[in-house]
Amino acid sequence: MTNEEVVAMTNRVFVESFELDEKDLTPEAHVFEDLGLDSLDTVDLVVALQQKFNVRIRDDERVRSIRTLNDVYEFILTIQREMAASN
Amino acid sequence: MKLNRAVITGIGCVSPLGRDVPALIDGLTAGRSAARYMAAFEQYTGLRSLIAAPAELVDEKLIPRKDRRSMSRMSIFSVQAAEQALADACLAPADMVPGDIGCVIGSTIGSMNTMAETFDAMLPEYDLNQMTSMQFFQVISHTAVMNVAQYLGITGAVLAPSAACASGLQAVGIAYDLVRLGRQKAVLCGGTEELHPTVTGSFDVLYAASTGYNDNPAKASRPFDRDRDGLVCGDGSGILLVEEYEHAKARNARIYAEIAGFETCGSGEHISQSSRGAMIQCMGRALQQAGLQTDDIDYINAHATSTVHGDKEEAAAIRDIFADTVPVSSMKGNIGHTLGASGAIELIISLVMMKQSAIFPTLNLEHIDPECGAIDHVVETREQPIRNFLKNAFAFGGINTTLICSRSGDGV
Repeated sequence: MTNEEVVAMTNRVFVESFELDEKDLTPEAHVFEDLGLDSLDTVDLVVALQQKFNVRIRDDERVRSIRTLNDVYEFILTIQREMAASN
Repeated sequence: MKLNRAVITGIGCVSPLGRDVPALIDGLTAGRSAARYMAAFEQYTGLRSLIAAPAELVDEKLIPRKDRRSMSRMSIFSVQAAEQALADACLAPADMVPGDIGCVIGSTIGSMNTMAETFDAMLPEYDLNQMTSMQFFQVISHTAVMNVAQYLGITGAVLAPSAACASGLQAVGIAYDLVRLGRQKAVLCGGTEELHPTVTGSFDVLYAASTGYNDNPAKASRPFDRDRDGLVCGDGSGILLVEEYEHAKARNARIYAEIAGFETCGSGEHISQSSRGAMIQCMGRALQQAGLQTDDIDYINAHATSTVHGDKEEAAAIRDIFADTVPVSSMKGNIGHTLGASGAIELIISLVMMKQSAIFPTLNLEHIDPECGAIDHVVETREQPIRNFLKNAFAFGGINTTLICSRSGDGV
């Protein structure tokens, strides 16, 4: 999966799950302060990302350090690289 | 102990006949049925009743996402109905002393749609990784009242009676008691429900859902009629504002009616079969509490759901107490059986009838079943003043509920 595909699919998650406008989804956008998610939303963000990318990240401690949308992209790309390496 | 007087000062609903009270009354006035064929039900093997009377979900996105995320359709219906009731009453919770306004909303169960989605995702792998944060908040039994109270900032008593088809009227009765006892100055109260094939299926398996009118849904719900064959499930929500009389007077509120009596009781006989004896007890004790005689009642809004047994029992109970002296009609020919919402929605209709001095008839009552006879069935709109009316709501589990409203001497 290319970086562009990860960005596009992640943005779809934010649009579909949190009813956000695509134009607000810039890499530097802060997930909580700019996009308005809260702690309950992060639970659903994880579930939605798991579904979208077919990954298991619920117990991954790195989720806690996500702040910006770019952090989400990087996290997913890292997970995918790890999965590819382990396969 | 001196009890406060409790009056109804606001009404709101989302019903199978439309998004608010005027739409509901327009539909009733036109004699419309909201029942329709449900193509989505066809996929369920063994489901014989393929009809329902759904309410339409509209403008739900006017509720901000963070408030709405914990709401299934039953909570959205209730929020919209509650906002209508408050607007109708010209009252905002923020205008009240914190803790003085409560909220009591009943339903049979939480969201069956969300429950089904949850199990669909979890089974057959027994995998909880797809469970979202909001499924629990939509499935719990008090989901509607929790959402309404949070959304409107209500900080008084928040309660959720769950007694199937009696839930909505029980909620109004509890609100009445909270106000009478001086615990609350005002209470938003009522019932809500949402359709799901398993809800219809639960009645179908007990031979209590209509199965013979799949090709003619508008004729399916026919309370007291010879050719009735079961109920038609509907959904929606009815919410009323019950207010302490002096509080309402002090702010010059319009008063629809005063609640004069309320009774709820069990039959102690059977979990699914209605009991005329328990109904007689329920209506009789409500009359006693109201201090009224049978000839004081000008109208009975029946529970009558179009089931073979239930309608017969209710007609017999009414006959036993009132003979054929009091006009009787059921609204379920028009809106189907909205279950936990039905008591509240039909109470709202009855209040409008009282205001308009006109009684809506039982739709589809074409041939009165002899076993439902010898009571005064209203089969066409009847113009007549209503001083006091009696509203019944009965439920599986042998639970019976009767509420009596009186035209208030002032302000109506």
